[in-house]
Amino acid sequence: MVRYALAVDIGGTFTDVVLRDDAGSTWVDKVLTTHNDLLDGFFQGVDLVLARAKVRPSEVDDVVVHATTIVTNAIIERKGPRTALLVTEGFRDVLAIRDEHRYEMFDPQIEFPEPLVPRELTFGVPERTIADGTIGKEVDREAVAVLARKLQQERVTSVAISLLNAYRNPRNEQIVGRLLRDLVPSLYVSLSSEVAPQIREYPRTSTVTLNAYTQPITQPYLRALKERLKERWFPNDPLIMLSNGGVIGAEVAGRFPVRMIESGPAAGALAASYYAEVLGLDRLLSFDMGGTTAKASIIERRRPLVSGTFEVDRIYRFKAGSGLPVLIPSIDMIEIGAGGGSIATVDDLGLLKVGPKSAGSQPGPVCYGRGGIEPTVTDADLVLGFLDAGHFLGGDMKLDLTAAERQIAVLAGKLGTGVGETAAGIYRVVGESMASAARAHATDRGIDYRGVPLLAFGGAGPVHACYVADLLESPMVVYPLLASVLSAFGTLVTPARLDLVRGAIGRLSAVNWSEAADIIADMAEEARKALVEAGCAPESLRYSFGGDLRYFGQQNEVNVTFVGDPRRDRDVAAIRAAFESAYEAQYGLKLGDVDVEIVSWRLTAFGPPAARHSRACLPSERGAPKSKRVVRLDRDTMPVDVYDRASLAVGQEVAGPAIIEERETTIIILSGWRARLDPTGCIMATRA
Amino acid sequence: MKPMDGIELEILWSNLISTVSEQAKALQRIAFSPIVREAGDLATAVFDAKGRMVAQAVTGTPGHINSLAAAGLNINKAIPPETLIAGDVLITNDPWLSAGHFFDITVYTPVFHKGRVIAFFGSTIHHTDIGGYGVGAGARDVHEEGLWIPISKLYEAGRPNALLHDIIRHNVRTPEQVFGDLAAQVSSGRIGGERLLALLSRHGLDDIDDLSNEIIGRSERATRDAIRTLRPGVYHGQSRFDVPGGDVVLLKCALTIDAERGEIDIDFDGSSGASPFGINVVMNYTHAYSTFAIRSCLDPHLPNNFGSLAPIRVRAPEGSIVNAKYPSPVNARHVVGMYVPMPILKALYHVMPERVVAEGAGAVWTIQIQGRRADGSPFTSSMFNYSGGMGARLNKPGPDATCYPTGIAAVPIEVLEASMPIEFLRKELRPGSGGEGRSRGGDGQIVAFRMRTEAPWLLNAVTSRTSDAAEGLGGGSAGAPGRFLVNGRPVQEARKMAMSPEDEVEMETPGGGGYGAVERRAEGKTRSTSLPLR
Repeated sequence: MVRYALAVDIGGTFTDVVLRDDAGSTWVDKVLTTHNDLLDGFFQGVDLVLARAKVRPSEVDDVVVHATTIVTNAIIERKGPRTALLVTEGFRDVLAIRDEHRYEMFDPQIEFPEPLVPRELTFGVPERTIADGTIGKEVDREAVAVLARKLQQERVTSVAISLLNAYRNPRNEQIVGRLLRDLVPSLYVSLSSEVAPQIREYPRTSTVTLNAYTQPITQPYLRALKERLKERWFPNDPLIMLSNGGVIGAEVAGRFPVRMIESGPAAGALAASYYAEVLGLDRLLSFDMGGTTAKASIIERRRPLVSGTFEVDRIYRFKAGSGLPVLIPSIDMIEIGAGGGSIATVDDLGLLKVGPKSAGSQPGPVCYGRGGIEPTVTDADLVLGFLDAGHFLGGDMKLDLTAAERQIAVLAGKLGTGVGETAAGIYRVVGESMASAARAHATDRGIDYRGVPLLAFGGAGPVHACYVADLLESPMVVYPLLASVLSAFGTLVTPARLDLVRGAIGRLSAVNWSEAADIIADMAEEARKALVEAGCAPESLRYSFGGDLRYFGQQNEVNVTFVGDPRRDRDVAAIRAAFESAYEAQYGLKLGDVDVEIVSWRLTAFGPPAARHSRACLPSERGAPKSKRVVRLDRDTMPVDVYDRASLAVGQEVAGPAIIEERETTIIILSGWRARLDPTGCIMATRA
Repeated sequence: MKPMDGIELEILWSNLISTVSEQAKALQRIAFSPIVREAGDLATAVFDAKGRMVAQAVTGTPGHINSLAAAGLNINKAIPPETLIAGDVLITNDPWLSAGHFFDITVYTPVFHKGRVIAFFGSTIHHTDIGGYGVGAGARDVHEEGLWIPISKLYEAGRPNALLHDIIRHNVRTPEQVFGDLAAQVSSGRIGGERLLALLSRHGLDDIDDLSNEIIGRSERATRDAIRTLRPGVYHGQSRFDVPGGDVVLLKCALTIDAERGEIDIDFDGSSGASPFGINVVMNYTHAYSTFAIRSCLDPHLPNNFGSLAPIRVRAPEGSIVNAKYPSPVNARHVVGMYVPMPILKALYHVMPERVVAEGAGAVWTIQIQGRRADGSPFTSSMFNYSGGMGARLNKPGPDATCYPTGIAAVPIEVLEASMPIEFLRKELRPGSGGEGRSRGGDGQIVAFRMRTEAPWLLNAVTSRTSDAAEGLGGGSAGAPGRFLVNGRPVQEARKMAMSPEDEVEMETPGGGGYGAVERRAEGKTRSTSLPLR
């Protein structure tokens, strides 16, 4: 009996759908994202794919996994309902004051992202929890009752509660939350001690506010998804992709929508780690270049790096500090303004610059013929001959080469050089900026990027990957199958997973083990429930334990994974050793005689690995080039063989320079590289 | 060699910046000092063989970066590059030759290629300890402030200079940390050098002389061209503020725009004389904040290097508070240094009103607490700080509780409460403290705390602008001056204060100045045309 699994990834422009059977056959489709009702596009895409595979919904008896941009959209477009924030009295401006940091020192004209809750809807509650978790002042219940009436008068739909030191003891937040729920049953209530129980009031408050702001949108959305799947006789409830690189049930996702931000890109990194496993590569640099940005993440020991915090809605050149902080475990990723739509200009110093400004998909590159007049990376790729004006999206979209050349000629005039040189310059400059961003990202994490293979995907990734690999001294580039829907594919190889964290600051030498055991047991129970809801058998669950530790007196923690269950081992020396080796890996030194402090406990629960292997159906006959195309490489112009990817046989080698075309992207194999089709269906390019 | 085109130059230039950014990342990662690692308070730069700064990392504070540019030239003058051999590493913390106080140590590493020096990688970071008085403005002369390291070799041909290492070890309280940070500076300089040599070999270059000439030449031309678009003339600005202890400091500047030559000349003639407290600023540091102010208004995206700094000249009378002479104490020079941009911006208001910022709160207020925990164990907190309001911009309000020129982050309340027995009672904006105007000045904030302790404790607070407020610009009103209260009573004290267990401290940081006169409608209601910040 064949089992079918289905994945749907809703991105800003496209909704991607992948259907797979357990023998490894896949069917994919892309439809335009339907912004009015995202689920319309969801089911349009699903219907198309199921029809093509001749599969009925009731036969999709394996998982239905979903990654969606709905939460990110609600935040960026400020589409959330009226949301209020309750804080400890005396600390009303926590969102406005932020961390006081001015993120771009040289520009006095910068602004900061608008808080999701204005001052008028932020209220102080008389109460206080002390740093050690003891209650300094009980909650003033009368005052909360007055606030409840106020929230009703103000027509508030959702409320975030973030009280000082609640990461240490949730009691006062729970009391306030219960009172509000009793008095105003229709209110959505988010507690910081549930959403992000970690020290540091500003990022925690920011996180719980984001959660409260998006919950009233996400919960009905997920409920509707469940119902519509049921109506069509899909046998299973959906699983939802989270930013940590795991999937979870709709119930948990609906309570913590903030965990769904950036889940699409996270799924891309999961796909990369799947390929690292399949190809036996310990490390990979996943390189996803799309229309407006390029994203890179490092796969280390076949797993993506996970970081404890990120920012959403950066408003200034993707700069750190210009967005809203989110204290949620997420795939560690760098994003820069370098995509196919990035605009090339000549600046006041006569230098050719590319990005971060993008023509996006509207008006898009000049060659799209939709009114764009600023030349972009895609225009340069077309002028260089890397793209075929007649074959873009399999020929569905004609590109205007003449218009692209005309606008690049304007830049060439300013630079005092030719059109070809300028297009090659754009290609080189954007490659350099991606390489230097990847170098900085790796160096920041104490990782030597040299010698790490690249995994190229996204519409523009395969066009530029070889060049970037040269700059990074990378010996290999992998071009996976399904590169244009890789995130959707990634959700199918993602196990159920939940990451939890609880703040409990104290010296490692004086840990209160009974308290620690309670905290960890609480987390384990919460995770168990969530994963069982996600369809995992209780006996299949695995737990991994960790914590955030630092040297006493330092400000920033290092995220450490322990070897065993700390409740059982209570082995302070082993925890310290794990911390020191993580610290040394990151900072290059350790401090023998300084006390270590534990700031938070962490627990990750995993469901069974998603063993859904892909089997590529590949021709055995060696394919011949379908045509030759004149391209400009470096300083020379020459005719180059063009292959259809689908025509390549396993083991077939293609020496660069060569072009390998797919419907959604084009692989450029530069001189000095040699590509070979691997039995997994991946094209592997290595330096000849 | 033929002149480089805008493509080749962009690629080499961005690669050069990438080498120095990697130096900065490596330094930030391996330094011990929390202020380096967590606040990113460091500067790294690459210099050509002549000691001219060619590129800097996009990190750090203006005071550090532009002082480092001066240090390169000073070191090259003291120790000619042709006398160096591979493996040499140079060092200094001379306030007058580098960054203005002993805590900031500059390490300067030559890069050799084919037997000669082709470049240097320099870094300046704030060390946690330099012996002497320690944190604060209380020393009576510069010698009390700690160890003075003249320009010298930290390593000679790859071997540590044993005598200098010994001297450092015997003159600081925590030598492990100081040597840890020095080692980080040395190794990050080496990483920068390795990346540069790789860059040369990728592009088939023997040195960076042509590249440096091209970068410096274009940057200088672009800066001069930008200055030439300004209306020529002499413009005046002055700024008045009070410092710990109650003295009032006046900074005056005459700013001359020479549109013909494309130069700006800034003269601080008429500014206050040196202070007996350690808040005096050396010329390098004054120069650093002056050029920073010009650049951030002229075009914040212009490159920052020897070429773009050249058309800006800065002078100040010898012995004034902004050109302090030996042996004036200089330890807390940031208190005055952070006000240096303000008179300059007020002069520039007459030329480019759309780019300047009204006067703001100035230096952040810093606090350090010493005391005993409940179990009797002593503690000394790290320095922590709070910002006042920033001045308004022409069409935008001043950000609340945000500092210009530095913009340093504050330590979270929960982190402080977890690290010592302190309890915050309030941290909220101080409504109405920003000056009125067509655009409003940023509000300051109210921060109140007490200690949960039975024992007396010590408070070291460095405040400013508690009597002389941030002036408004173009008809805007002044912000409110700050208030520093203990048990509700105002205090003015430059040194550490002995406190009782039950004392409550309240700091109301100053508001920023408003910008533009408020238009009044017929019915007399105030109308604000500024764009809301939130």
